[in-house]
Amino acid sequence: MSLWVDKYRPTSLGKLDYHKEQATQLKNLVQCGDFPHLLVYGPSGAGKKTRIMCLLRELYGAGVEKLRIEHHTIVAPSKKKIEINTIASNYHLEVNPSDAGNQDRVVIQELIKTVAQSQQIQSSTQREFKVVILTEVDRLTKDAQHALRRTMEKYMSTCRLILCSTSTSKVIGPIRSRCLAVRVPLPSTEEVCSVLTSVCKKEGLNLPPELAKQISEKSGRNLRKALLMCEACRVQQYPFSADQEVPETDWEVYLRETANAIVSQQNPQRLLEVRARLYELLTHCIPPEIIMKGLVKELLSNCDGQLKAEVAHMAAYYEHRLQLGSKAIYHLEAFTAKFMAIYKKFMEDGLDAMMF
Amino acid sequence: MQAFLKGAGVGKPLKDKGPAGPSADKKPKTVPWVEKYRPKCVDEVAFQEEVVAVLKKSLEGADLPNLLFYGPPGTGKTSTILAAARELYGPELYRQRVLELNASDERGIQVVREKVKTFAQLTVAGTRPDGKLCPPFKIIILDEADSMTAPAQAALRRTMEKESRTTRFCLICNYISRIIEPLTSRCSKFRFKPLANRIQEERLLEICEKENLKYTRESIEALVQVSEGDLRKAITFLQCAARLNMDKEITDRAIVEIAGVVPSKMIEGLLQTCFKGTFERLEVTVRNLVNDGYAATQILSQLHESIIESDLKDKDKSIITEKMAVVSKCLSDGADEYLQMLSLCSVIMQRAAQS
Amino acid sequence: MDPLPEGSRTAASSVKRWVDPSFSELSAQSSDPFLWSKTDTKNPKKRKGGAFSCQRLESDQGGQDESWVDRYSPQSQAELAVHKKKVEDVQTWMNAHRSKGGILVLTGPSGSGKTATVRVLSQELGLKVQEWTNPSNVEPYSSWQNADWRIDGLTYSSQVTQFREFLLRAYKYGCLSMAGDGGAAGKKLILVEDFPNQFSRQPSSLHDLLRRFVRIARCPLVFVVSESVSGDGSVRSLFPREIQEELHINCISFNPVAPTSMMKVLGSISAQEAVKSGGRTSVPGQAELEALCSGSAGDIRSAINSLQFLCLLGSSGNSGVSRTKKDRPASGRRGASRSNQKTKKTKTVKDQEEERAIGGKDAALFLFRALGKILHCKRGGHTEVPSPALPPHLLHHCREDLLVEPEVVVERSHVSAEMFNLYLHQNYLDFFSEVEDVERASEYLSDADLLAADWTNRIILRDYSSSVAVRGILHSNSHQVSVGFRPLHKPAWLQVSTKHRENCLAARHLFRDFCLPAACLQVELLPYLAKLTNPMRNHTQITFIQEVGQMSLRKHPSRVKLETLTDKETAPEEEEEKEDRGLVEGQDQSEEALTASQPKPTLSRALLEDEEVSIEEYSSD
Repeated sequence: MSLWVDKYRPTSLGKLDYHKEQATQLKNLVQCGDFPHLLVYGPSGAGKKTRIMCLLRELYGAGVEKLRIEHHTIVAPSKKKIEINTIASNYHLEVNPSDAGNQDRVVIQELIKTVAQSQQIQSSTQREFKVVILTEVDRLTKDAQHALRRTMEKYMSTCRLILCSTSTSKVIGPIRSRCLAVRVPLPSTEEVCSVLTSVCKKEGLNLPPELAKQISEKSGRNLRKALLMCEACRVQQYPFSADQEVPETDWEVYLRETANAIVSQQNPQRLLEVRARLYELLTHCIPPEIIMKGLVKELLSNCDGQLKAEVAHMAAYYEHRLQLGSKAIYHLEAFTAKFMAIYKKFMEDGLDAMMF
Repeated sequence: MQAFLKGAGVGKPLKDKGPAGPSADKKPKTVPWVEKYRPKCVDEVAFQEEVVAVLKKSLEGADLPNLLFYGPPGTGKTSTILAAARELYGPELYRQRVLELNASDERGIQVVREKVKTFAQLTVAGTRPDGKLCPPFKIIILDEADSMTAPAQAALRRTMEKESRTTRFCLICNYISRIIEPLTSRCSKFRFKPLANRIQEERLLEICEKENLKYTRESIEALVQVSEGDLRKAITFLQCAARLNMDKEITDRAIVEIAGVVPSKMIEGLLQTCFKGTFERLEVTVRNLVNDGYAATQILSQLHESIIESDLKDKDKSIITEKMAVVSKCLSDGADEYLQMLSLCSVIMQRAAQS
Repeated sequence: MDPLPEGSRTAASSVKRWVDPSFSELSAQSSDPFLWSKTDTKNPKKRKGGAFSCQRLESDQGGQDESWVDRYSPQSQAELAVHKKKVEDVQTWMNAHRSKGGILVLTGPSGSGKTATVRVLSQELGLKVQEWTNPSNVEPYSSWQNADWRIDGLTYSSQVTQFREFLLRAYKYGCLSMAGDGGAAGKKLILVEDFPNQFSRQPSSLHDLLRRFVRIARCPLVFVVSESVSGDGSVRSLFPREIQEELHINCISFNPVAPTSMMKVLGSISAQEAVKSGGRTSVPGQAELEALCSGSAGDIRSAINSLQFLCLLGSSGNSGVSRTKKDRPASGRRGASRSNQKTKKTKTVKDQEEERAIGGKDAALFLFRALGKILHCKRGGHTEVPSPALPPHLLHHCREDLLVEPEVVVERSHVSAEMFNLYLHQNYLDFFSEVEDVERASEYLSDADLLAADWTNRIILRDYSSSVAVRGILHSNSHQVSVGFRPLHKPAWLQVSTKHRENCLAARHLFRDFCLPAACLQVELLPYLAKLTNPMRNHTQITFIQEVGQMSLRKHPSRVKLETLTDKETAPEEEEEKEDRGLVEGQDQSEEALTASQPKPTLSRALLEDEEVSIEEYSSD
């Protein structure tokens, strides 16, 4: 039994639930025979990968669904061994080069070279090229991106790339200009609702529209999250009730409590407690930038007006540092301390104003 | 970054396309339209009168100086020199007489020394096989010269002088400031202006006719606007749009989508929220923009334009644009898009509230 | 053929071989290529590890040449400068294991008397110490006088193979000798101070060997691992907890020699020396001994060496040694300046230089104290107002003079700048009372991290980074109140980030068939999987989900789990933080060089066992 997210993943362009116009366009692209490199971008949970797999199916037929996980060992020029996992079918290869850390350049070059040089055995395949999917391209080093540029041109005849990224901001211009960019926005709240309803119907469940709405709002339009939430709802209680509480992940609740702790009291001891909580979140695999964003969201909802703008500035400032620095806790803590200070001042000023 | 746009279309296809006949038996490969509609002769080059005049003189038999073309991408720099070379030498001699190197090729100091030198040292005759006169020199085209390292450029300097009898260099770059002084002083410099909208429109319409495309008036306008004077970009977008919308009308929406540009309505909406709305609404608006997958850098550059044109006071504008610079740097360092945009918008909001 | 039985035989016949040569005695070094090949290992200081050997070198012929460390090595338990409890621990273990197999690991900083304890105790218990030293392949060729010892196999078999042979044969040999001699005289103890290098790369090979040993062994095996600043022997990697449990390895951790014990030893040595030399050597005064004692940081070996050097200086006022130092400071002045050591205010640079010249180690400051100096932020009295007055709008930045020189404190703590910052960060909050101050302090820490973040400039910038952090914290603590004694803690960040990394990796491996990017996996999938009842996972996955996906919301994570800095039972966190991705742009060699160049956190155990030193004590005078 697999998760609903996987179980009801559409497998062909025609079956996609939203952005149907784009789906037809992609179909056209496949049919016109002249398939360019693609850059598929959009936020997490928008269905980029689903769309790409549908596209591959359109290109090669059902054969692409026979997936296998392969383990590659690549030896870098520096004699360092790089281990990397790929997912492959006979027609394509998917790899997340950022897994290799700062050796991503070597991984990309080697893998694409291998794919491009290996001939397709079956003569029946209708395409003269294979596809390499690179995920999380925005996390590639600049070095790797520049190398990718040359590789793209070199193996154009036997190999097409599909790059998958959350934003084009971190993809260098030369790559963007070599690819046809396909933007995949998050589905709208309504679209999420309808997907949820149809999935539940297929499961033989009855999902009240109110609950569907509640889930889709809570998911922040992230379809993957919405489906997981929905499934968690099912585990929690069935039959569904319209006002059922949508289960949140533990870390989100924990983060909210942390934010409350910050707002309720501002002194060094409290900061120490907050630090311990931040550590707790980190050990539970929550990336620091997500902690920062979640914290900002919760804190923003706890203060008003002028203060919000200030918090937004600080958040941007320290999140940037988080990216540059080497130890996240310094910056998370500095942000928290800063918030405490201005929040305390704000409250004191407010109190003074009330006195007069 | 735009300097590299060039490499995409120009370098490679030219090699496998070749001048004419011999490659015709290859199976029909879809040629990028940028190649297909490249000007075939100097006369066809749009909008760059000064250069065309000089080249024409040279076609009539005068000597050609070393050339340095610079200007924004997609203004026809490469096309011009290629067209001129083709006219000078004709299809047969072209291959022998012209060496083209762009940034995609390895172009370290070694290459400059070896490849350029050996090519430059070949002597050539002053006639063509068909008996017509042709200039007694070869042309070396160095595309994207601004991405060459300074030592490589310095090495070029000597070669350029030594081989001046038999070889002409044509350096092409986006930013002349990145070419070392000794090189620029050895070349006659031509600045390529961004194409006027009218000219671009003409070209695009011409292509649409030839390709039998269905299009709307607005889509061409959108194309012109989105491409910002870069004809190559415009043509590439047009081709993409045609691929995606087979047998259907190309709309301005499709163009905007392909270009990854944020629809101006959304930018306007964002600004309105900044000027009039509350912070809560701003949060929602920014969140939606990011959720729709628009790149923050794109939003930033479009916001920048709108802010410059808006009727804010100069002081406010300068404060906002300063913040934009900071945000841009942060984004390039990999900072979170949502937080950065929120921070920027709240500055705009503050300034708007104070004025 | 193997040299080992041979070595053992000679060892039995001439006990003298077991005596470590002094580091200056060349003849002893090369007298026995097999047993003494250790002398050419890279760490000559460590060589002195065996200085407290079981046999006193009776000969006076060594005279001046002989190092005092050898001459005055302890002969009985009473002479050991080690804390009694530790000695008892070791003794109990030895008694329990004297005739059966068993493994003991002794850890502690260098010069804390680990080896001496083993030797003294085994002598008292009648055990023969058989010691392993890393053979060197060069040695047999250079030591011509022992040509008959040179055996081809020696040079070609790897250290590991030899080590294995050594362990297993040593055991066999023990049996044979029992058969021959009978009685307890043949009982042995195997001592390993020096690990074949291979083991630090592949601890598992050591573990396999130990398993075999435990199965067949009949004599105790003692490992002595020095934890030094350069930290070559990492107990944690060689003897991880699982192995310790599996093989019932006992682990006893030694502390630096306490000042009182050290004083006793130094005092007795100098007294004996004075008698012996009949006035030739000048006996250092009490103040000087104290200074030596505090300077040696609990390293008794270094203290004795310094003492010898000091006396040497005194005895031959115009001999070669003193010529190197142009004007020998009058010992009275030296003593005076040294006693002032703690109030740095009055101390000139020159004094520090002198001090360092005498006792090699005395520049070191315990991390505990260094942190105390910074965090307690002692400032001068009101009388010393700085001359230029600040303009009114900057007046709130006005601070009194610092009593410490921040950069010097950091430098003397012998901890890398990053590590020092981490320690500061872990502990600074306890010393602040205002959240506004904390705000600025934390910003300085953030600045400091940013400064040192860029990999390419890190070597230059890390000093500035620590300077910014230290001075930032000093400056921003504007409402300094006397907080009294506060326990200091080890930075939790190291553990947290290691755990974070491990968990992320584990998540990626366990759930790779979901084909999700890391962030989605950790933030969305795992937490929800924890909420679902999906029976498709294997056991490890379920455990992992329970551990990582779920968070116990009620649990109040507090500092309970923090290790206090003075805690002696657990080894300090030594794992280097891996360089963050992207900061190290694919240059492996430099990366390695970098990690190597970063000193491991020093042993932060203060001399707290015998004397309760409170953290304010540094300003006691």
